[in-house]
Amino acid sequence: MKNGFSVFMAAFIALGLSWCGFVLGPVEQLGTAKQTSVLNSSDTYPVQRSGDATLGLQVYRASGCAACHTEQVRQDGVVCEVVLINTGKNAAVVSNLVSTLKLDGLTKDEADAVSDKITTAGGKAEIRIVPVGTDIARGWGVRRSVAADFLYDYPVQAGSLRAGPDLANVGARLPDLNWQLVHLYAPAAVVKNSAMPPFRFLFELRKLGDAPLPDALQFPKEFLPPAGFEVVPTPEAKQLAAYLLSLRADAPLYEAPFTPVTTKP
Amino acid sequence: MNPTETSNNLGGASVLASRIDASCRVPLLALFGGAAVWLVVGLVLSLAAIMTFHKPDMFADCPFLTYGRAQAAANDALLYGFCIPAGLGVMLWIFARLSQTELCLPLVPIVAANIWHLGVLVGTVAILIGDSTGFAWLEFPRGGSVLLFTAFLLIAISAVATFGQRRERELYPSHWFLLAALLWFPWIYSTANLLLITHHPVRGVAQMAIDCWFANNLIFVWLSLAGLGTAFYFLPKLAGRPLHSNYLALFAFWTLILFGTWCGIPQGAPLPAWMPAASAAAAVLTLVPVLAVAVIAVKTVCGSEAACNGGPLCHVKFGTAAFILSGLMLIASACPQFSRVTEFTWFGPAQTQLQMLGFFTVVMCGAIYELLPRVMGFGLPFPRFVRLQHWLFMLGIVLWAGSLGVGGVEQGMKLGNSQTAFADSTGVALIFLRAGTTGLFLILLGSLLFAANIFVMTIKWKIALLKSLLAVVKAPLKMEEVES
Amino acid sequence: MNDEAKSNCPARTDGEPTATRAAVPMVIFVVMLLLLFLGAVYFDHHSGWFDAKVYSPYVSAEQLELYQPKSGAAAAAAQGRKVYETVCGICHGVDGMGKPNQAPPLAGSEWVNGAGFHRLAQIPLLGLNGSFQVEGRDWNLNMAPMGAALSDADLAAVITYIRTSWGNKAGAVSADDVKAVRAVVGGHPAISAAQLNSIPE
Repeated sequence: MKNGFSVFMAAFIALGLSWCGFVLGPVEQLGTAKQTSVLNSSDTYPVQRSGDATLGLQVYRASGCAACHTEQVRQDGVVCEVVLINTGKNAAVVSNLVSTLKLDGLTKDEADAVSDKITTAGGKAEIRIVPVGTDIARGWGVRRSVAADFLYDYPVQAGSLRAGPDLANVGARLPDLNWQLVHLYAPAAVVKNSAMPPFRFLFELRKLGDAPLPDALQFPKEFLPPAGFEVVPTPEAKQLAAYLLSLRADAPLYEAPFTPVTTKP
Repeated sequence: MNPTETSNNLGGASVLASRIDASCRVPLLALFGGAAVWLVVGLVLSLAAIMTFHKPDMFADCPFLTYGRAQAAANDALLYGFCIPAGLGVMLWIFARLSQTELCLPLVPIVAANIWHLGVLVGTVAILIGDSTGFAWLEFPRGGSVLLFTAFLLIAISAVATFGQRRERELYPSHWFLLAALLWFPWIYSTANLLLITHHPVRGVAQMAIDCWFANNLIFVWLSLAGLGTAFYFLPKLAGRPLHSNYLALFAFWTLILFGTWCGIPQGAPLPAWMPAASAAAAVLTLVPVLAVAVIAVKTVCGSEAACNGGPLCHVKFGTAAFILSGLMLIASACPQFSRVTEFTWFGPAQTQLQMLGFFTVVMCGAIYELLPRVMGFGLPFPRFVRLQHWLFMLGIVLWAGSLGVGGVEQGMKLGNSQTAFADSTGVALIFLRAGTTGLFLILLGSLLFAANIFVMTIKWKIALLKSLLAVVKAPLKMEEVES
Repeated sequence: MNDEAKSNCPARTDGEPTATRAAVPMVIFVVMLLLLFLGAVYFDHHSGWFDAKVYSPYVSAEQLELYQPKSGAAAAAAQGRKVYETVCGICHGVDGMGKPNQAPPLAGSEWVNGAGFHRLAQIPLLGLNGSFQVEGRDWNLNMAPMGAALSDADLAAVITYIRTSWGNKAGAVSADDVKAVRAVVGGHPAISAAQLNSIPE
């Protein structure tokens, strides 16, 4: 290139293009997003977190938890499964038919075909949409994370390394407040072979008074604090635990559809 | 040209060169002195952070060094404390030399360097006390970032002024890379700060998209621009051959800035599908500039009679090789099949560390070892350290980045099998983290050698300055003849 | 430096590095164009074309729509539309506008939009003969009992569909409603407009 100005223009154009794509684009598409509605329901999503949980997000940020934990579930694919709801009048015929058909791991077209076969035989079938993926198989979520899950977060702590498990649905997976607090104080007490460092500075080791404080942590037998002492969470610890308990992303949405299973075996 | 003319020209050239070098002395010392300190501090913090994996209990009662804070502080100290000031200092010198003029407005970079290092100090302390912003590679809160932005603009003013004074109007490839870097940082830094670290940030996951864009443009594109601009200056100079070739370098420049800037969005991100898809396509296209740089480097250096001996040429060669490897890692990690394994593992940090430490730091150390004796006017106090540092860095980086990379792949394969317990993936990574820690320790030793050279040179210069001041003060006064 | 390299460089007397003028090998351009093509194909297949709702693994807005689970009401509407288009739409038109000399329109028809469904349900169940007025126009055709062979659920779905589509805003009809009507009139011969008018809605 001939002179400084043409170098400037080259850099300006190149950076300008990616600025339009990855700054302007997300701001236009996602920056003005509002609450969306849960699929097949009038509930809105997401629900604003409680006060303690919102403060807990700031404790999460200040402690750098996102350095080891992610809050995003991935999804590798989606399959349909067909479930018989009603055998109808010709119960025997329908049951025989169903036993010959493949009912899960189907594409939508295959599922439609199977469902039609059942309907013409007189039965009634429902097609269920099932997300699949390694994260989902591990129980870290029922669907992938989407923009709506982070609508009210500042700063968004999606994370980039899994030195610890994903936390997108930890509030649904481990809903016990005491467990979360004990895990923060001494991870090895509740998770075998945990690589997580203890966060003892979020707690106080206090001398036991006449009776244990209601806030005091309850430990498993092998990890009790020294005799005459109890462990009490500071407000930061309680806020962080409230935030962790508020983490759940299991509502079906238009952009991440699935058929909620109402009864679990 | 007849021999007398040539030797006169060369003699004149060398006098001019030493004047140019002298004009850069104080600004560069201000930049490099702080940079050397931050290199050591950043590596110490990095070591402290990684110790958490070997002994989780270590900082259980100390909130300042908990992993999340120590790791963020280490990364930012290395990037903003060492990489950018070192890059800017070398850039000022290259501009002055290529322009064949003394550094313009030399007071401005001196002031700016101090503002910059103050900003890094404010930011690093803020992270350690819990005031980090929560955005990767952008953790410095508003106070620190304003100082950094101001200082960068000031240095850019001096650099552009020096560039504008050039006598040889034709541009050399390094000019393009370094000038582009001067535009790149202020734009991405101000955008990221104004949209994310403000009272009315963009809403929701758009923050993540912008943070990923910023991190990629800073760590991959900016470090590549500044590092390659430097490498394309020093490789031909030290090898004694011309750069191969002007047009291939132009091609590499254009393809790097057009494609490399789109690479940042990870494949599994909670963003609409077009963003990861665009990044994946761009990452594959980034193969083109990486290949072009490889061809340029190999064709420039091969066949050179210059001996290596662990000197600056060795540093720059190793650094350029590290760039090519880190570029290939970036491309691989964007391919959907591979990213399914390596996403969220230590592979990503391995690529970043290889780019930052393996490529940029090594190239800058080589460049600084080459230019600093000329700038200061006297040789390195510990010349043997150059070779020692080269070996320590080479071994250290292979161990550190290599272990993290392989560990990341192993971790990813365990994570990818949903039947495997999660603790297995962290367990297998731990073995590689141990090897990596050894590598990090070697890099720290190397950086101490570097800092020792800079530190002693600064002291020697200050002593010489003091001596000359004292000599002026002590000189006998010339008695003027009194007119009778 | 060999002579070729020397002549390939612009002269610089100041000891600063120079660059040769060697041409860019064509191979690298070919590689770049190939990768651009592959990248464009990948983007076309995986990007959902900038739709804000399409997240991987979905690749298009159509596919995402296809995989939406249907709730009870939505499932019936989908079924009703399917049945209509296979059974009724051939004569009455997919857009409900009817076809001259074949079938009257259903869109805006007072027979479809009645408050009750008893009158309407008998038309597909029994068939309709003779002179018939729809929206001020005369029709004199014979309709076979197209709905007699449908199940209660399907007929209810189709009646609901025509009562809620193309601007019609009448109420839905359930399978039980259809069952009740069928129980009373099922199997009777085709009715006429006069007979229909005598039935309460």
